[in-house]
Amino acid sequence: MIPLNFEYYRPETLADTVDIFDKLDAEGKQPMYYGGGTEIISMGRMSNLTTGALIDLKEIADCKVLEYQQEQLVIGSSVTLTQIHETNLFPLLSQAGARIADHTIQNKITLGGNLCGTIIYKETVLPLLLSDSQVFIAGPGGQRTVPINSVFKERMQLGKGEFVAQIKVDKKYVSCPYVHVKQTKQDKITYPLVSICTMAVSGGIRAAFSGVCGFPFRSIAMEEELNDRSRSMEQRIDKAIDLTPGPILADLEGSMEYRKFIIKGLLNSIINQLEE
Amino acid sequence: MTSIAIGKDIIRKEAWDKVTGRALYNADYASPGLMHGVLVTSTCAHGLIKSMDYSEAQQMPGVKAILTGDYHPMLTGPVIEDRPPLARDKVRYYGEPVALVIANSKAEAAAAASKIKIQYENLPTVDKPSAAMSKEAPLVHEHIDQYRHVIPEVYPQANSNIVHQVKIRKGDMNKGWQASEVTVEGEFFLPQADHIAMETRNTRAEILPSGDIIVHSSSQAPFGVRKLISQHFGVDLGKVVVNVPLVGGGYGGKAPIQMEFLAVMASQAVGGRPVLIANTREQDISASPSKLSLEAKVKLGASRDGILQAGEYTFIVGTGAYADSGPRMTGSMASNCTGPYKLDNVWCDAYCVYTNHTYATAYRGFGHTSFTFAVERAMDKLAAALNLDPVELRRKNLIKAGDTSPSQVILTPSRLGDVAQCLDKVEKLINWSEGSRVEIDNNRIRAKGVACLWKTSDSPTDAIAAAIVAFNSDGSINLNVGAVEIGPATKTTLAQILAEKMKMDVNRVHVEMEVNTRVSPHHWKTVASMSTYMVGRAVEEAAKDAINQIISLAAIAMKCSPEDLALGQEQVYLKDDPNIYIDLAHIAHGYKYPGGNTIGSQVIGRGTYVMPHLSSLDRENGKGKPGPYWTPGAQAVEVELNLADYTYKILRAATVLDAGKVINPKSAKGVVMGGMSMGLGLGSRESFIYDQEQELQNTSLRSYKVLRIGEQPEYLVDWVETPNANAPFGARGIGEHGIVAIHAALVNALSRAAQVELDQVPVIPELIWQKREEEKA
Repeated sequence: MIPLNFEYYRPETLADTVDIFDKLDAEGKQPMYYGGGTEIISMGRMSNLTTGALIDLKEIADCKVLEYQQEQLVIGSSVTLTQIHETNLFPLLSQAGARIADHTIQNKITLGGNLCGTIIYKETVLPLLLSDSQVFIAGPGGQRTVPINSVFKERMQLGKGEFVAQIKVDKKYVSCPYVHVKQTKQDKITYPLVSICTMAVSGGIRAAFSGVCGFPFRSIAMEEELNDRSRSMEQRIDKAIDLTPGPILADLEGSMEYRKFIIKGLLNSIINQLEE
Repeated sequence: MTSIAIGKDIIRKEAWDKVTGRALYNADYASPGLMHGVLVTSTCAHGLIKSMDYSEAQQMPGVKAILTGDYHPMLTGPVIEDRPPLARDKVRYYGEPVALVIANSKAEAAAAASKIKIQYENLPTVDKPSAAMSKEAPLVHEHIDQYRHVIPEVYPQANSNIVHQVKIRKGDMNKGWQASEVTVEGEFFLPQADHIAMETRNTRAEILPSGDIIVHSSSQAPFGVRKLISQHFGVDLGKVVVNVPLVGGGYGGKAPIQMEFLAVMASQAVGGRPVLIANTREQDISASPSKLSLEAKVKLGASRDGILQAGEYTFIVGTGAYADSGPRMTGSMASNCTGPYKLDNVWCDAYCVYTNHTYATAYRGFGHTSFTFAVERAMDKLAAALNLDPVELRRKNLIKAGDTSPSQVILTPSRLGDVAQCLDKVEKLINWSEGSRVEIDNNRIRAKGVACLWKTSDSPTDAIAAAIVAFNSDGSINLNVGAVEIGPATKTTLAQILAEKMKMDVNRVHVEMEVNTRVSPHHWKTVASMSTYMVGRAVEEAAKDAINQIISLAAIAMKCSPEDLALGQEQVYLKDDPNIYIDLAHIAHGYKYPGGNTIGSQVIGRGTYVMPHLSSLDRENGKGKPGPYWTPGAQAVEVELNLADYTYKILRAATVLDAGKVINPKSAKGVVMGGMSMGLGLGSRESFIYDQEQELQNTSLRSYKVLRIGEQPEYLVDWVETPNANAPFGARGIGEHGIVAIHAALVNALSRAAQVELDQVPVIPELIWQKREEEKA
């Protein structure tokens, strides 16, 4: 039960959506965009949500796209994790998404919601960072398409009223060799202790992490160390781990030391697989 | 003689209603004008309530009343009255109810509840049970010596956190230690955890203009609720009516009385209107009572040949902020402290202490689930010290008829059952002989662990049960008992007992699923795995009473002596010529002669039962009889550990219980599997996690993890049947027992696999890693 009263809007075009946002914002309703709603429901029932209006993005045509357009795979932000998994057009993204929550929740969670929510893990961003995806953003200032590696810094850097409409992935990345591993404290279905997505491209191995710091990330500096074949495997990994863009997490999922132990083990096995 | 209903896989009577979603639970019922209460709970684990501002909440739409600790102040508790339903002046745990908002709708009540501002002045906290014992420990209760005792046998110590102490003194410890060539010692910790019943606790109450208090509750103890509502609200017992429909899991968590007090207070505050208070999952975990914590020390001594000579046990039981049934469980643990092993020299000190955590209550196993872990880990340590196989060490020491329990009950086959047979069977089930530690490859180890258990009822000495068997005019029966259907198909089991006694089809026995204290005959509580035994005995007696009435009437109708008649298949027939009979339907509501004259009337059988010869534990030596019989068993687990990251899989889990007689094999297997699943959860993932300030960190199922489908092992369940002479068809209770030693078996297996001593639960991969790292350093 959500004790909060709010208005509900379900626009069908990008332009209407932005207009409605502007109007509601001007009325002081602190509008929020609504994807799958899993966070809104769980925060709402705990009275941790303040909004007077929700704008549902799920009926906007652009946000429902899931197809190849020329050489790009276009994924609308309202596409659910289940749809991504079942169509399997981007296997690495399918796998990362299929380890978020459980199947019932995957039916609800949308790609845009996972990328832009408050949760610190956002595991679907990892494959997008590795594949240099483009993000199509709509907002009061118009529409823009920007590289995810420039707009995602710890979280999606969106202006007021902006929302992610689509993700575009170059076809060449979709079929690259990859490894995804998610290790948890104990249970299969839970937050990651460490989640790692890796991809072998012509320049070497790319790696992105969730559950390691307080935000998901891909680090070029870490990739350089990991790809430095002049060193021993242990040195490559140790050097890389020293370069995490923030302190390694210590929380209910596990201590910092144990996370390091797990990251080392996982990277060792992943690199061996990809360099075979 | 072949049985009609006993030993048969009868599908539970409410199965179709449940699987189609039509079965209703307490909070599913709506009544016109129903109001809703929402609790405001403490965000501070130990502190003085400095101020509470509910002025804004009071102005919110739909709000009818806001209650705080000053409204109808009272202290409650089943053993010692130490707990106010709403905290007064101070709070003692994170999650403690401090205010209650009543509004026209749940949303309005919740919205207003979020606007109440409370300021606390933090006090130093007590975390672990051992910390509570320290002389310098902050006092959770300042005036522990002034509380009213509900039962005489509780011994709180003034100016301390010790609310109860139990001593077991049996044999001669000096002699025992002298005979011990090998001794081992271990310290163990089992944290608090939650019941996680699928249905969260909830109660609806109203006060009629007549003064009758009508309570509808998700409870295991409707008669207990009635008694305490009557007592605390000053209303005649009979004017309180408690209704309990199907309950969605209890595990002991619905035996205590918490929501009921609040719901009646809430109704009182709104002129008697019906008010529903239903826990959210978060409140059910943090505000309502949980499973106790235990710090245990076990020291065992044995002669070189592996025979136990002495056992010394120290149990510090953390009951949280209020005693509830913690003192009783402390006694239950002490009086069974050895586990099912013969020990002539036993010394046990068990303390029940307050901490600043969610208070504890009964939890499946009534304390056995905790202390058995310590005992069974210690047995594995002893086996290692003696260089004996763990199964062999256990087999050498299993308790037998003629031995005595720690509380000096003389054991007979009927009272004890046959543990040795359970161990033999479980050893085969888990295929122990193929090796208890096998290296599969460089990283993977398969290992097995075993553990034994026993448990008795540890019930009050005056617990009673009753049954009413009323015949319909077609010869079928309505069975009415006071036991609640909390999930294990108790009512169907009772119908089977009745059908067998009446020698009729179980489908012709209709059982009332709901309990209404004004209609149903009394039953102590649906707890302690005792319903089949206690209510079953009452049902047997009611059947006997009904059969006497039926045969007497039939004898008149058939112009013969009652001795010449027998009953079966809803016919009363001549023993020497079954072709001469009268249908039960023609007797059940009186016999009508041709012409219309009628003799007799409705056949109504009644039966009652009280467990005989139970006695309280002696204060100095613990001597006493805690229950009518024990159900013993043996359990085993096989795991596969990955040494690369210390993750593991639970491959197989086996249980063999001496059930006395298995009345419904499939139901029984399901109940035992459920217990195993809970115990494996405690062993592998479940625990309350507190921060430095003793705030509970994992109050939702996102962070409090239970075993999910897909994570369960293959379950193997088998039985030994050594009848209990007093029980219906010899059947011993089995409701709790699947949980009791399974985590011990799991951790014995994991310790063997990882070659480190794991002496706490839950065992998560990080704990194994940590122990291995400590070992290396």
